[in-house]
Amino acid sequence: MDAPTPAPQTPAVRQRLEGRKPTRDWAPWVVGAITAVVLFLLLVYPIATTLLSSFVPQGEPLSLRNFSLVNFERFLTAPLYQRAFLNSVVVSLASTLIATLISLPAAYVMARVDIPLRNLIMSLSVIPLIAPPFIGAYSWVILLGRRGIITHYLDQWFGITMPSIIGPTGIILALSLSYFPFVFLIVQGALSAADPYIEESAGIMGASRWRILRTITFPLVLPSIFSGAMVVFVRALGNVGVPSVLGGDYYVLPTLILFQVEGYFNLNGAGAIAIVNVLLVMVFMFFVRRFTGRRRYVTLTSTTRGARKSTRLRDKVLGSAYVWLLLLVALLPQIFVIYSSFAERWAGTLFPTQYGLGNYRLVLRNVLQPIVNSLTLSGAATAMALAFGFITAYVSLRKRFSGRWLIDLTVMLPFVLPGIVTGVAYLTTFNSGWITLTGTGIILVFAYFVRRLAYAFRSISASIGQVDPALEEASTVAGATQGGTMRKVTIPLIAPGILAGGILVFSTLIGELSVTIMLFSGKWKTVSIAIFEYLTSYRTAPAAALGSIVIAATLLLVFLASRLLRRSMADLFR
Amino acid sequence: MKNDVLRIENLNKVFETPEGPVHAVRDVSLEVEGDEFFSLLGPSGCGKTTTLRMIAGLETVTSGTIEFKGRDLTRLPSAERNLGMVFQSYALFPHMTVFDNAAYGLRLRRVPASKVRERVMELLEALGLSGLHGRYPSDLSGGQQQRVSIARALAYDPDMFLLDEPLANLDAKLRVQMREEIRRIQKDLGVLAVYVTHDQEEAMSVSDRLGVFRLGRLMQVGVPQDIYRQPTSLFVADFIGKINFFPATITSQDASGGKVSLRSGQELVVGRFVPLDPAEREEFGIETRDVLAVRPEHVVMRPHDAEGANGPLGVVRRELFLGSIVRYFVDCEDATRTVVVESAQPPEGVHEGDRVRLTTRPEHALCFRG
Repeated sequence: MDAPTPAPQTPAVRQRLEGRKPTRDWAPWVVGAITAVVLFLLLVYPIATTLLSSFVPQGEPLSLRNFSLVNFERFLTAPLYQRAFLNSVVVSLASTLIATLISLPAAYVMARVDIPLRNLIMSLSVIPLIAPPFIGAYSWVILLGRRGIITHYLDQWFGITMPSIIGPTGIILALSLSYFPFVFLIVQGALSAADPYIEESAGIMGASRWRILRTITFPLVLPSIFSGAMVVFVRALGNVGVPSVLGGDYYVLPTLILFQVEGYFNLNGAGAIAIVNVLLVMVFMFFVRRFTGRRRYVTLTSTTRGARKSTRLRDKVLGSAYVWLLLLVALLPQIFVIYSSFAERWAGTLFPTQYGLGNYRLVLRNVLQPIVNSLTLSGAATAMALAFGFITAYVSLRKRFSGRWLIDLTVMLPFVLPGIVTGVAYLTTFNSGWITLTGTGIILVFAYFVRRLAYAFRSISASIGQVDPALEEASTVAGATQGGTMRKVTIPLIAPGILAGGILVFSTLIGELSVTIMLFSGKWKTVSIAIFEYLTSYRTAPAAALGSIVIAATLLLVFLASRLLRRSMADLFR
Repeated sequence: MKNDVLRIENLNKVFETPEGPVHAVRDVSLEVEGDEFFSLLGPSGCGKTTTLRMIAGLETVTSGTIEFKGRDLTRLPSAERNLGMVFQSYALFPHMTVFDNAAYGLRLRRVPASKVRERVMELLEALGLSGLHGRYPSDLSGGQQQRVSIARALAYDPDMFLLDEPLANLDAKLRVQMREEIRRIQKDLGVLAVYVTHDQEEAMSVSDRLGVFRLGRLMQVGVPQDIYRQPTSLFVADFIGKINFFPATITSQDASGGKVSLRSGQELVVGRFVPLDPAEREEFGIETRDVLAVRPEHVVMRPHDAEGANGPLGVVRRELFLGSIVRYFVDCEDATRTVVVESAQPPEGVHEGDRVRLTTRPEHALCFRG
């Protein structure tokens, strides 16, 4: 009661206020403690250790005497490092730009033109997000490689010689087509929610359609475009699978990290590269924030009436053509993964010479353990993420909790850490010392948990946010205890949301590569690693078979989640 | 009929907000007894809902006491107070049927299943919900949801019946019907009721007594007629019903009444005096020492040139025919704002644009004395 009181208080009140002890609820304290442990043990400590060890030459112990900038000097002296840095910037920016540019017309068409089969289109558009990008990446070699199918026909029919798909072209192509739905979904959502009266009033004042688009619609959704683009940039910058498959000797920062760790087990050097990688993310975020910080529009979700959709035949034909073409190109990798999974003999010919289920039999015989491992690790991490997400979301929404910043920080931090960086940090930190976890399944579970806790927290927060607090109060007033209210009212109401969130977390972990590749061991090999190893040893048919299983299983799970929540698949990813 | 007393003494609530403490309820004291229907009335943000929520135990009490049947409830958890409460949003459990919603409190009290069934069915029938017990809340209309939430609150025979703006989400016609029904069932069960509303007509029609809140303070408590006829502050006079204020100065006063002089020098005879809070005088923009207050139905209006016409002069700006009454808006220099006059029998020879004289009978002239 030290704070100045704006309204005068009677002396009697002040006296009693001071004499009274505030009643304490244990839940915020438990949550505060758990969050603090997660934040410091699984985030701050690994980041700090990585940061410190990046200032020490390879293999030297952490000590002030060993302080050195040698790991960072390489970015000034070694051409490989300089090129990898530049390549990362180029590849990420180009992928982000292309992903954004191809998304905008599609988002506009879906929000403003009455296109047939909209639900199917929206559902198909999330497949590139569900299927791990590296699984589809090799399809581009089959299609556009030196002896690829499309390359062949372009040469035969038109005499066109394609540039090599190996290197930046392929990486940018694969990344932008894998990540464009992030921009597409968020911008489509913003456009659909935009108050139609604003555009209509501009039209009544005499503005043309193009002028409305340029001066009203586009500026209104600009913040959404940027937040979508930011997600694409962070993902592209941290992706290790695609440049591994399509990079050849074209290195980017994540593959350089992989090279340092796998080739030399140079954790100090890899740490330095990881730090540079994170700095790039932060610089990009800084500029995006600076640019969008001043642009906050609250009009975007004001009415229940949706925007009017054009029913003109010309708009419908052109719009459908564009959207379907985009989807076809984006889904080509997945389609070809499934197609080539049935190829039993495919050597030196344009198309396979024998089809069958042999690859599936081979895969199921040889990689049963990785499948079990993936299910176990992803399941454990999902359970952890849901438990953490539930208690933190519940307390931060339903209790007075002064430690909200703890939760916010814990949820925000993993976002700036690309997967490969988390991998390096965990490898560096838990490789030796007072907590040694390298080679165990636990380190993977922790890493998966950290990678997905933000998602679990957000989806459960959204579920709890939809439960009117008056429902819980009604239960309390009727005589239920806090536990009884939670059991009978809160949990039954948010259970579908928790389950759906869990399915999404789980299914996206099955194909997780960038963290796994740093932390897996012989005993804890996962499905994603098995696919990756097949791909890098050019056994593409079994890779395709296993990839098809992963794509089909995750698609099925996401479909189940959407049924469960009675929401569209696209909504789950928005 | 239960002879229970709810006693609230010096109740205070201070909310800690990022902008600093907010004193939402200040030194509220009141007593509600037996099967009384008591309303907390006031504009939004006046502290009435916070007071109700403290009675319910949903909000901690900063200072003061809440006592019921001689037992101190102030720190008692909400679940142990044995209350029934109806929320503005009804707060029906969407994953439970109508029956399960209504049975919720009974089952918490471990009432045998057969008794639960008997009691719930009886209550649903009394509320006109027979046959709907298997439905889910989302299948019901707003009025039906409202009844279910009443059934849920009353099923376990609570000691107090609390209602937080229960009719705010219903349409006008249903509101009138439901408030009568709520009062009927409350009287049938003989349970003490505390009712929160911002609608003064609703509060007046349904309550045995009511308390008018303003800025966290309880301004006046009484039966509806007294509050309407004998407001103790300009705020209550103005908030409950309509009223006309004339800045005035008392020129003479004795046991039976007195005289006031208005701004134009016109004199009127007044019958009753009430003390005036200087802060209110400032707030209502009154520059004289005293104020004369007259209800619209008590203003007597005559053409200015009629024989024996006296009192302040005004011009009829608008005449509204409202069926049972006629309402006039009269511009008058002696009043703080446009004077409202209501009459069941329109005075003869008065039309829009006419000059009129306004008077009132002494017993209807209430003088706030500064």
